Amino acid sequence: MTRARPADYPQAAAATLRDTPEVRDAVTAATRTFDTHRRESWAQIDAERWRDWCRDVKDHVLTHLDDLLEQAEVRLVANGATVHWAEGAYDALATLGRIVDAEGVRRVVKAKSMLTEELGVNTFLEGRGVHVRETDLGEYIIQLLGEPPSHIVGPAIHRSVDDCRRLFHRHFGTPLDATPEALAATARQALREEFLAADLGISGCNFLVAETGTLALIENEGNIRLSTSAPRVHVAFVGIEKILPRMVDLSGFLQITARGATGQPIGTYVSLIRGPRGEGESDGPEQVHVVLVDNGRTTLLADDVAWETLRCVRCGACLNICPVYRQTGGHPYGFTYSGPIGAILAPALLGLEEAMPLPFASSLCGACADVCPVRIPIPDLLLHWRARAVEAGLTPLGERVAMRAYAAAAERPGGFSGAGSLLRYVPWKRGGRALPVLGGWSAERDPPEISARPFHKLWREGIE
Amino acid sequence: MSAARDRIFGRVRAAVHGRKRTDHPGDFLGWRPASSVTDAVAGFTEMFTAAGGEVVRLASMGLASTWLRDFAAGFTGVALGASLPDDFVPDFSLAQPESAELGVSTAVGAVAETGSLVLDARDGRRVQLLPPTHVVLLRKEVVYPTLAEALEVVSRDPPSAVGLHSGPSKSADIGQILVKGVHGPGRVIALLVG
Repeated sequence: MTRARPADYPQAAAATLRDTPEVRDAVTAATRTFDTHRRESWAQIDAERWRDWCRDVKDHVLTHLDDLLEQAEVRLVANGATVHWAEGAYDALATLGRIVDAEGVRRVVKAKSMLTEELGVNTFLEGRGVHVRETDLGEYIIQLLGEPPSHIVGPAIHRSVDDCRRLFHRHFGTPLDATPEALAATARQALREEFLAADLGISGCNFLVAETGTLALIENEGNIRLSTSAPRVHVAFVGIEKILPRMVDLSGFLQITARGATGQPIGTYVSLIRGPRGEGESDGPEQVHVVLVDNGRTTLLADDVAWETLRCVRCGACLNICPVYRQTGGHPYGFTYSGPIGAILAPALLGLEEAMPLPFASSLCGACADVCPVRIPIPDLLLHWRARAVEAGLTPLGERVAMRAYAAAAERPGGFSGAGSLLRYVPWKRGGRALPVLGGWSAERDPPEISARPFHKLWREGIE
Repeated sequence: MSAARDRIFGRVRAAVHGRKRTDHPGDFLGWRPASSVTDAVAGFTEMFTAAGGEVVRLASMGLASTWLRDFAAGFTGVALGASLPDDFVPDFSLAQPESAELGVSTAVGAVAETGSLVLDARDGRRVQLLPPTHVVLLRKEVVYPTLAEALEVVSRDPPSAVGLHSGPSKSADIGQILVKGVHGPGRVIALLVG
């Protein structure tokens, strides 16, 4: 399956539901499990206080990002790491290409990283004849299938056990009734060789501590620890928003990210990396390169409304609870980040026109805002991008006219109630297409019954 | 410095300029603040065990050494961390971490709040990760109530890398079914002394 573009979302989502209904079952089951674990885990803590604290730290970071980035750079260099800056994917890949050439890299192991997906690292390296192997079990499965990840935390949740059995049977000749343990053992053996043979390990980064120049990476399998310590060169791609001020701040963020993602008190493995192998250390990389990536993040930071999106810790809680995401999983979104967070990141990182219609791929039920560990007001930001889309003329003409008429009427109380009364005379039942704004909506649904008496009249009279 | 760096900083400064700069909210109060943890060892044991780890508690280094000798008899090839005390190490058939069935190393700390062992790169990372079973020597004195406290201690003389290990390696990437020992050890035992 090749990656769709956001513009294809309606067709891709419909095709997923029609052609592969088992994807909905798998994604719904997995996200329900994730969300149940999150809920149980949050019940053990004072979640509201934690969320306030995390939001406040991130707001502090984002309003002091210039100073903190400078501090992080100074510390990393003092630790012996090499710091690179990349404005976009092109720069980031060019930097990687220079390291690959200088070090004669032939084999790469990759730790799971959404930023490297965003940048297209695998395609770039394969194009240069470099062998690249994803080492997270879920990422490994989808790499063998030739698919992009469908979820921030669980990249292969759209695939069933039987899908994995068939895949491993084809690649390794394992029996078609192999247990998940047997499949994992097969992958462990194949990937162990990859770790030990690789020249270069590539990772992302969950948090970068400015005070000490420490990269923090969260995982459960051990592949990130191995990818960042077995090969002689480590390259970490880090979004510039990933900063935390102090080492002790990690205590809150490591815990809330794990509890938000899977309900665990902390990821099974956390790597805290300052730089290359030190004196007296028997292993670890000889070189650590940290590539600080903008790729649209400063555009988002400059947006007076949407900058709060940059608080995101990529836990996936908003995907897990989203009734729209659960229907299809991440592939139809046609963007690295899917679900509610993807719908508000895409307009900033891709440009609004390219991201359409993702801000509309939501029922605005608000569940995502209820679970976000850093309190990103996702529904408000979906509306923000929708309004921008209408202003920019990116929505269907009929809807724009209707919205403008609605806005004009709503500004005048008399006009609003007058317009509402007029709707009572629209021939709803005849084809249901009398209102252009509901054209797409009513094509597959019965139009609603319009109340005989408007709400504002009932309200004035006192609703019973 | 690079032109890309200058342009990124220019955009960050322009974005931040004029926006109200907010204060850091101060220290994070965990779910079990230090004052409420009367017994850090019990807290660690509860959390580490809940995550699938095992805890063996012995009163002295001598007893721990004897336990380890008996336990290691069931494995061919033992890899040792660099920080283990010489007089602690029984007579093993040694192996490199790549081929050893058992890895034995030392924790520089542990965390009650999260059930984590704090492992130092100076001890060797491969021995902590490659063998399928991992025994970690842990002294009672370095079990801290909160993660913040452990992070503060480990930052005083930091190695190039620290690993927090909270139970055995695990994955649910195949059909949401939990599997242990995917890349790291499937069995991890904290050998708690004191």
